[in-house]
Amino acid sequence: MAISLAESLHIGFADIWTRKVRSIVTIFGIVLGVMSIMVVLAIVNGMNKSTMKWMNERGGLTRIDVERNWSYDFSKGGKAEFNLREINYLQEQLPELAAFNSTISKGDAELSRGENKTMADLQGVMPDMVLVEDWRPDKGRFIKELDIQENNNVVVLGSTVAREIFGSRNPLGQLVTLSSETVSYNSSGEAESSLKATQLEVIGVMKERQMDSMGGPFQGNMLEYLNRRAYVPLSTMINKIDPNQQISSLELKAKDTESAGALRRKVEELVLNLKGGKRLFSIVSASEQMQQMKQNSMIFSVIFVMIAVISLLVGGIVIMNIMLASIKERTREIGVRLAIGARRRDIFTQFLVQTVLITGLGGVFGVVAGYSILGVVGKYLGVEVAASAQMVWVALFVSVGVGLIFGILPAVRASNLDPVLALREE
Amino acid sequence: MDVIRISQMIKDYDLGKIKVRALCGVDLNIRKGEFVAIMGPSGSGKSTLMHIIGCLDRPSFGDYYLDDQLVSALPKSALSQIRNKKIGFVFQSFNLLPHLNIQKNVELPLMYSGLAVRKRSHKAIEILASVGLEDRLRHKPSELSGGQRQRVAIARAIVNEPSILLADEPTGNLDSQSGGDILEIFNKLHQAGNTVIMVTHDSAVAARADRVIRIMDGNIQDGDLAG
Repeated sequence: MAISLAESLHIGFADIWTRKVRSIVTIFGIVLGVMSIMVVLAIVNGMNKSTMKWMNERGGLTRIDVERNWSYDFSKGGKAEFNLREINYLQEQLPELAAFNSTISKGDAELSRGENKTMADLQGVMPDMVLVEDWRPDKGRFIKELDIQENNNVVVLGSTVAREIFGSRNPLGQLVTLSSETVSYNSSGEAESSLKATQLEVIGVMKERQMDSMGGPFQGNMLEYLNRRAYVPLSTMINKIDPNQQISSLELKAKDTESAGALRRKVEELVLNLKGGKRLFSIVSASEQMQQMKQNSMIFSVIFVMIAVISLLVGGIVIMNIMLASIKERTREIGVRLAIGARRRDIFTQFLVQTVLITGLGGVFGVVAGYSILGVVGKYLGVEVAASAQMVWVALFVSVGVGLIFGILPAVRASNLDPVLALREE
Repeated sequence: MDVIRISQMIKDYDLGKIKVRALCGVDLNIRKGEFVAIMGPSGSGKSTLMHIIGCLDRPSFGDYYLDDQLVSALPKSALSQIRNKKIGFVFQSFNLLPHLNIQKNVELPLMYSGLAVRKRSHKAIEILASVGLEDRLRHKPSELSGGQRQRVAIARAIVNEPSILLADEPTGNLDSQSGGDILEIFNKLHQAGNTVIMVTHDSAVAARADRVIRIMDGNIQDGDLAG
């Protein structure tokens, strides 16, 4: 009858305890390896989470964006611009869309009422903006189809803009003055700028947007730029505020994630035909982008986990060497054990269990160490880190596996010792 | 009744290019309850004989019956059980495990024979009491004198109630006082009916045995003349 596993574990713990310093040195490599696996998995996990959160905040996975194609060589001619007629045409061709918005970004513009003024990021948009961004006014209403048709002088303010002009007073129905610089070209082609003031009626204030950054270079609210916006009807922007502005981006929304990919290809084709085959725009689907990102982070995590596994293997080789040295040193003990009735199996189990215990302990310490430095690493690298129970199991499984693999050779060598020679060893 | 029957035993060592014959056809019977001393100069083959009797090694040719069981035919893997149950070793240099206290040292053979933990400690304490060490159970071997260590080793050797007690120069590392004490213990064990086989250089030690077996160049010289 062989000695039981519980007995072997007991012997193993006693062995480790009597050789404390050696055991600590031995497990160091495993601790580091497991720690790095923990940290890498937590970073990848955290990045996926924050990407997902960001995507959801920005309209979810059904979103499709048409943007200026920055890789297109514009010296070949063509402008990344749509006119209102083209917008209408695209809208008619894409009835399956859940939302259709196009945006003119005028950029910094001064809004004032009496003494109070502030800079806002002025944008001309369509009513579907609320659907695309999944973002509604808190007070009042958003721009309607009628506002577009009639070029109404109305504005919807971001919460920060509203607060800076009106303080705690109700802005609804109030007039604000928009002072904007308009660049026009005279007959000889020289640019002339002129200041223009437009009175706009505040019809709504957008709900405040808030998303805390997870450390990193951006501190505070990552969505504050949205709170600094002011929205006017797209037609008002072109016809009344700044005729030089052109529509250079579209924000679309598919009905569901599954149709987003096909829809993106349809939009791409329509835009390409509209622009005479020139790739002036790039069309990006959030769901495809997400898949791409997931794939990237997958590759990233596979590479880093492999590096961590290599360090574990190195740790395993170190352990194997220390165990071999330890067996050399304990030859006489093994001889004595064999003489008083230990079987080869018992000796094999004793040393294999000991190696696995060492790597297993290394795994436990590694998980604890990894877990406790996660916060610091996240802060230092400026990324969100998220630990999961699954990672702990992976780390422990791998460290025990390393012990099983690298424990075999020392255990075989110990159990193959000849009792006569082992007893003679000094 | 013979506890050990050895006939025409040959042991060759293969040292690569040359073969060395350590035992050249040894015949030896040892009766149950006998106290036998094996004497011989170094290189005579007495260690080899002792290793084979102790089932640490196997003969190249010849039969070895221990308790009427042909152990020379057993595979190496089966020999550990024979060692565990039937043979108690006492070494010149004690060979206690330094990291274990003496109770644990004595419990080791019981562990390898699969006895339950509680029974082990009972038995170990009982045996240690019989050699006068019941108040040292938690001591490490390094905290004991040579004579005390050898008493622990004897306790470990007899704890499984073996058929033979095999002692290799048990007094070789001891002063004459404690050596005498140890020999007295062997005497008592012999009187209690145990079979004792002792390898020694010391003819004074050998004189205590029922029979002295002299071995020279791998042959027994006058094994049956003494006693």
